[in-house]
Amino acid sequence: MSDVLKELTRWDETICQVARGHKLDWFDIAYETVSYFDMLGAMAYHGLPSHYPHWSRGKAFELMHIGYNAGVEGLPYELIINSSPSIAYLMVENPLPLQVLVMAHCVGHSDFFKNNRTFAGTRPETAISRFRNARNRVQSYIEDPSIGIEAVEEVIDACRALSYQIDRRGRRRPNEKELLRSYSERVRDGDESLPDDFNLDKVPLEPEYDVFKFISEQSKTSPAWRSDLIAIIREESLYFMPQIRTKIMNEGWACFWHYRIMNEMDLPDSLHIPFIKNHNAVVRPTGSTINPYHVGFETFKHIEQKFGLDECFLARETMNDESFIRQYIDFELAEKFNFFSFSRKGKKDSSFISVDDIIDDDDGWSKVKEAFIKQIGGNSIPTIYVDDTVDNTLVLRHEHDGRDIDLNYADKCVEKIKRLWGGPVKLLTVIENESFEVS
Amino acid sequence: MSTFNEHRTTADRSANDRARHKKKIERAIRDGVIDVVSEESIIGQDGKKRIRIPVKGLREWQFVYGDNEGTKRVGSSPGNDIKRGQVIGRSDGQQQPGAGAGNSAGDEFYEVEVSLEELAEYLFDSLALPDLEKKKFRTVETKSTRRHGLRSKGIPPRLDKRESAIRRIRRMVATKKEDKTDSAETFPFHEDDLRYHHIKQCPKESTSAVIFLMMDVSGSMTTDIKFLARSFYFLVYQFIHRKYDNVKIMFIGHTTEAFETDEDSFFKRGSSGGTHLSSAPELALEIIDEHFHPSSWNIYAFHCSDGDNWENDNAKAAEMYRRLCQISQLVGYVEIKPESEAVKWLKESSMMSIMSNIGKPMKAVLVTKALDIWPAFSKFFGGENE
Repeated sequence: MSDVLKELTRWDETICQVARGHKLDWFDIAYETVSYFDMLGAMAYHGLPSHYPHWSRGKAFELMHIGYNAGVEGLPYELIINSSPSIAYLMVENPLPLQVLVMAHCVGHSDFFKNNRTFAGTRPETAISRFRNARNRVQSYIEDPSIGIEAVEEVIDACRALSYQIDRRGRRRPNEKELLRSYSERVRDGDESLPDDFNLDKVPLEPEYDVFKFISEQSKTSPAWRSDLIAIIREESLYFMPQIRTKIMNEGWACFWHYRIMNEMDLPDSLHIPFIKNHNAVVRPTGSTINPYHVGFETFKHIEQKFGLDECFLARETMNDESFIRQYIDFELAEKFNFFSFSRKGKKDSSFISVDDIIDDDDGWSKVKEAFIKQIGGNSIPTIYVDDTVDNTLVLRHEHDGRDIDLNYADKCVEKIKRLWGGPVKLLTVIENESFEVS
Repeated sequence: MSTFNEHRTTADRSANDRARHKKKIERAIRDGVIDVVSEESIIGQDGKKRIRIPVKGLREWQFVYGDNEGTKRVGSSPGNDIKRGQVIGRSDGQQQPGAGAGNSAGDEFYEVEVSLEELAEYLFDSLALPDLEKKKFRTVETKSTRRHGLRSKGIPPRLDKRESAIRRIRRMVATKKEDKTDSAETFPFHEDDLRYHHIKQCPKESTSAVIFLMMDVSGSMTTDIKFLARSFYFLVYQFIHRKYDNVKIMFIGHTTEAFETDEDSFFKRGSSGGTHLSSAPELALEIIDEHFHPSSWNIYAFHCSDGDNWENDNAKAAEMYRRLCQISQLVGYVEIKPESEAVKWLKESSMMSIMSNIGKPMKAVLVTKALDIWPAFSKFFGGENE
């Protein structure tokens, strides 16, 4: 073992000791020390040791590389994945104080992965091997002369257009057979809550939010490899959805703990001062965007002050970003965050962005909060569900919540979904208060 | 228990995905070229001119919310200076001081700036068009002479003075060794001293080309059609330009009569009136007669038309084209019918079949949309079997 690794191991022992003292309970962490180049490589694949190949990962890599060289983006600090053991990356270019900080931060993340309820269905023990299997299968389709990269890419691109169009709350929905049985009984028993002309032949009988699953089950012409690709991208959405739904909490929890652990480690000034600098750089407000590190960290601090540390642990276990914000960010804290909402107004060429609401009274906060909730926890992705199938047409509906979808993007997505469905597809939505159909 | 492991790079993991991404960009650039050429006067520009190509299709399409008043976003200001109604960004991307707000993050911007030369490289080198590159061009051959060694007999103009002088001095030194007394005397050239250049004749490929870009500018030619014509001519010019050192372009517009013009008015000017397709090749033949002798110029002629011709002119047009074909490397007839129109009428006009029957080096293609441009181009310059 090299001197560097020996040193990191020594620091890790101290970190673990402090963390255990606070009853943190995390997966074992497997740290990999990597070069800057490999770090970007790992980030392009979301830290997964193997992940199915796709051109977008090449693009992600290039953008990060360009961004870093142009000075737009700083060096990446930390990357840890939800698996058991948790795999985390330490970039060798980082100085020691930063490595120690990242390690303490990772303990917080891993504890969150292991204990937060949102992650209950993610099966972290098998995550690595599941993604490896998926990768191998995709690779075999690419190498299969009767399929090939172009066809594989077409399906993956189409599936990615449907990314996260799953049931985001992870609820179990009865399948069509079960629904048919229960509705048949209700019709037979003369259930008055059903409309008179209730159509039992409608598929699906209730909105199906798992668009992947619906397409995969209903499209009859689909060859096995295609259904498998759909399953792979669906699985990816299911795996990452809990992280999207808890971004603020997860980062906040990790910052809350790295801050505490580092302070309790009795660091010499030569380490403590750089640590404070790094910490402050991470948890600062960023103006026109929400910095999850900042909001999460301050909110956990606020909870501890107001309700005690036990309440923090309770939140870490039972909440997701949406409930966390509704529950714990009060007017006082929102004012401290200096939240404001803004939007683009005017026509395309002469548009401008202006502030809509600020935290000056309860009304202002409730309006900003409404906008805030809409942009977090996966709410920034429009919800599309399967409404109906008429003849061979797949009828999708956008759950409109006051926000219009971008039609240019919607057009392209519908085109792609047609290929996946193997027939006509239309999307119903509302644009500028009028119903609109994309087909 | 944490474990530590030094990750050793065994392979550049994202190399394949980066290569796929690059390939997609290149494809997008090729597709974007067609849009670019419609906007700027670039056919005859020198290769250093830089143009920006919007690259499409590299976005990852997903359902997203529109950026408008209904979609409110939330920020967290580091200062206290935020007011309701305060403008924090404008459409030109200029940010207002204060909140540090601006355009939303993640606006992916793909615009590639390239010079025309690079563009041509992109088009012809990096794309899979092996036939295009390998194809041997029929080229005009001229005789040229070049020196090839020395001979002791020859005509005075070819005398190599230096070589002859060297030989005289050599002889002088050699004689002096035997007879040192005659040093003051003159020492004239002897016939044996003289050396003449030997001249050899060799065939040489002409590196000059003239391209006649002809176009129907009558009333039936809409902007759409001209746009397609321009895109096509751009490719033609760039390609021929790479093959020859000296390329001249002649723009010939015509209605019932042909006239020489410049690039700008060639594409912009619209005339009303009927159409005599024959007038353009006729004028081209006249110009060739005066300025571009077929023995030293490689001649290329292309004609873009919507296929409408006055019927009484058809025979004459065919005749003019036959004559043009006899002296040209390649004659192309491009019939452009935007899709909507092609549905209304029979797809090919009678001109199309007349042109197709003329035979080599005449080639005729039908173009209905921007996507046809590239295949049309490949047909003209691709392998003989096409």
